[in-house]
Amino acid sequence: MQQQPQAQPSPSPKPKKKIRVPRVVNGVEQMVEIEVDADAGPGWGPNDKHKLLNHRVTRVDGPLKATGVARYTYDQRLPGMLYARVLRSPHAHARVTKIDTDAASKIPGVKAIIPAPLTEVRFAGAPVAAVAATTPEIAGDAVRAIKVTYEVLPHVVHAHMAIRPDAPKVVAEENNLQEKGKNGDPQKADAAFANADAIVEGEYITSRIHHTCLETHGMVVDYRGGDSATIYASTQGTFTIHADAAKELGLPESAVTTTVEHMGGGFGSKFGLGLEGLLACRLSKQTKSPVKLMFTRYDEFVMAGNRSGSWQKLKAGVKNDGTIIALKATQYRLGGLGPGSQAGQPYIYRMGDTYREVYALHTNEDSSIAMRAPGHPQASFAVETLVDELAYKIKMDPVEFRIKNLRDEVYHRQLRRGAQEIEWSRRNPVAGGNPGPYKRGMGCAVGTWGGGGNNQCKVDVTISRDGSVLVAVGTQDLGTGTRTYTRAIVAEELGLTMKDVKERIGNSKLGSANPSGGSTTAPSLSPSVKDAAIKARMLMAERVAPLLGNPKPEEVVFEDGKVSVKGQSLTWQQAAASLPAAGITSHGEWRADLQARGVHGVCFAEVEVDVETGHVKPIKMVHIQDGGLPLNRLTMESQINGGMIQSLGMALWEGRVMDAHLGMQLNPGLGDYKLPGSLEMPEMVPIIDDDDKREAVIGIAEGCIIPAVGALANAVFNATGVRVRELPITPDKILMGLMGSSVLSRG
Amino acid sequence: MTKSHDAGRRRFLKGVGIAGAGAAIADHLWVEAEAEQKTPTTPASLSGNVKVVLDVNGQQREAQVEPRTTLLNTLRNHLDPAVTGPKLVCDVGTCGACTVLLDGKPVYSCLVLAVDATNKKITTVEGLGTPDNPNAVQAAFVENDALMCGFCTPGFVTTISAYLKKNPNPSPAEVREACKGNFCRCGTYPRVFEAALAAAKSSKV
Repeated sequence: MQQQPQAQPSPSPKPKKKIRVPRVVNGVEQMVEIEVDADAGPGWGPNDKHKLLNHRVTRVDGPLKATGVARYTYDQRLPGMLYARVLRSPHAHARVTKIDTDAASKIPGVKAIIPAPLTEVRFAGAPVAAVAATTPEIAGDAVRAIKVTYEVLPHVVHAHMAIRPDAPKVVAEENNLQEKGKNGDPQKADAAFANADAIVEGEYITSRIHHTCLETHGMVVDYRGGDSATIYASTQGTFTIHADAAKELGLPESAVTTTVEHMGGGFGSKFGLGLEGLLACRLSKQTKSPVKLMFTRYDEFVMAGNRSGSWQKLKAGVKNDGTIIALKATQYRLGGLGPGSQAGQPYIYRMGDTYREVYALHTNEDSSIAMRAPGHPQASFAVETLVDELAYKIKMDPVEFRIKNLRDEVYHRQLRRGAQEIEWSRRNPVAGGNPGPYKRGMGCAVGTWGGGGNNQCKVDVTISRDGSVLVAVGTQDLGTGTRTYTRAIVAEELGLTMKDVKERIGNSKLGSANPSGGSTTAPSLSPSVKDAAIKARMLMAERVAPLLGNPKPEEVVFEDGKVSVKGQSLTWQQAAASLPAAGITSHGEWRADLQARGVHGVCFAEVEVDVETGHVKPIKMVHIQDGGLPLNRLTMESQINGGMIQSLGMALWEGRVMDAHLGMQLNPGLGDYKLPGSLEMPEMVPIIDDDDKREAVIGIAEGCIIPAVGALANAVFNATGVRVRELPITPDKILMGLMGSSVLSRG
Repeated sequence: MTKSHDAGRRRFLKGVGIAGAGAAIADHLWVEAEAEQKTPTTPASLSGNVKVVLDVNGQQREAQVEPRTTLLNTLRNHLDPAVTGPKLVCDVGTCGACTVLLDGKPVYSCLVLAVDATNKKITTVEGLGTPDNPNAVQAAFVENDALMCGFCTPGFVTTISAYLKKNPNPSPAEVREACKGNFCRCGTYPRVFEAALAAAKSSKV
């Protein structure tokens, strides 16, 4: 190798090495080359050689949660704390002309009433005012005693009405329908249809569904008029709150600390200060008292988050050999006031000449918020139903048909495995062909996600002279098992057990960390933890080397609670005793080579439909998910279960119901909004795809919520012969289909 | 609600018994309320703040509350130190996260007034076991990963602990039936069932 002699020695950049990592581009995985530091240190090693990772490790916070000791934001109670409640507009579109607080402010115990920062409300449930009082009951009284005068304006809450040219405008002077992009050549697609042996055309609709976090959105703002404040937040982003809170409180950013010890579910809906945090800050600032503002369940439904609905008009053409050759798609994202989200069709399929138009179609509803795999289940349900229809039309097995039209061989492998697990051979290929009133059927679908990380996490590992080990980073654990793998990575690297290491997370004064969205937490955090752990090991190895005959640090073995080199061995305590009085602290940074992106999942579902009542009973679900190195098999399987169960809700039961005339949600409560419950659970088989040998961490939470909706819908068709293209697949739609009516109620 | 709060409570509970979606526990209450109706009670008028003495996990706890305050809000907002194991999720008796035991029977504590819980033994999830000394259900929840975010967990643990006392050897179907008054959103049900069955096999409930 030749090198150019350098005239002047300049601070040479760190030597780099190139590694190849998978990336998903438009749903198709490709290998790309990235550059990392050449001295980046060892990797994870083979997935089957770990001591703690890729094993079944029980959660470190499990005992606290199972005994009620774990303290959530909702559980915070501070001396002199006030409870806040929000008054909400009953109108879907109105101007607030007067807020009369006279009667409310006279109620004993009411300490402050403030207006919300909006004068025009554009959805029923929009905040109008907030109250702080000594008990939540009194705050509720005050909310009811406030008299608001509204100038009511026309509204529209249903997409099929909002699209009409004469529909009321959601935002004055703006079209309810906003074009968001076109892709492909419509003429080419039209020409290709002429060569198709069969064509399927349909409209696919998914409801707006709710995150329904059991811990509602909210915060406790502890500001008593001094020069600092603490915020207890139920959030997916420890570091997404204090900057905006500081502005509201008139404090420097550094004077505000956010803590999130445990949090009761987010699913994409809990980032930033939010209106609830803003109101809590203002109430706290005004009263110089800690203020707790946790949304009520009603609040949670009407404004704390929903997955955008979708309305997709699809037309596809197929050859008799099973090749899909053309697709035209018109996709409406139903995000209320917001733009909504929906992956572009044909999603992950290869469909020849394709053309799509994407629009946001606005209504007088609160904006949709990111929800676990934003935009993907909607697109997946539509395209997986379409693909299934094409397969039946040309009488090809739906599994083989998918394999033919999917490029990525990982899906081929996973589809074959799934078919085996659910015993696809038991399925009657004739839809509705089984005898008797209880008809069983099977369906399948596939999904993808990125799940890569980014450079945001700073992790410290401290080893003290007494042998204790602490790993600290400000990240948050949503119930995904973040604490547990953070501890496990360090314990494994140092040859210790889970109980030898402690972790501190959930505080904005600790090392920074990314917010938990898009399955980015594990691939962003775990490389930084690993980096810190490796560095701590090397620092310690250097310190103990003189006691072990001065080996090179990398020759020192950390295993089974011992620090050793060729025959000589120290216990962990002996080794730690050689450290300086202050112990040692290492600092870990993100390493791209320890993570990757691009996951694959397939789901198979079996259902039983009572064709006399239309009732669907899920029988069995199998989901196969890859994800590189599984940090913890136990918690990964739980996440896969969670993906399947949340999909069950979306497919069969859940949906916001809006009243066109009143403009209000009709089911804003857990008694009327049907969540999956214990009696509906099928047999669930979560399978980690160990054929994925990538020695890299990839986030999987989103990947495993995508395909099940389509799999369930296709199973209903296989059972009954009724194709329901509108979610949720409720008994009325199945019965209408069996009676031969159109099951598409609008569009 | 100030006059004859007992009668008001019964009407309220009966309504929930009919309308409640996950009504297993509410059904119990309904039956209890109907039984209560037969015994004449003295109508009492309560207003302002009243002193309640509650027997919580074996300790006598005192609080000043408005008569309308639920047992749940009294435990969480008025006892000092607070008892926050039972969670407030729906506040209308549909989700089970606030489940506590009243004289050993599971109830939704958001549907019970504190003034009606005096003279009864109240057991919350904290009274069933501790991190160092969990009961069999709590231990099995950890072992089987029957929790994720954990917000529904105290309710499930309390419900199942009471159920296994009544039926120490349940079938899988009976466990599902016992859990039907509790909601989870993360998707822990399959492992909740496994944990309940595992706990039944051990002897420590």
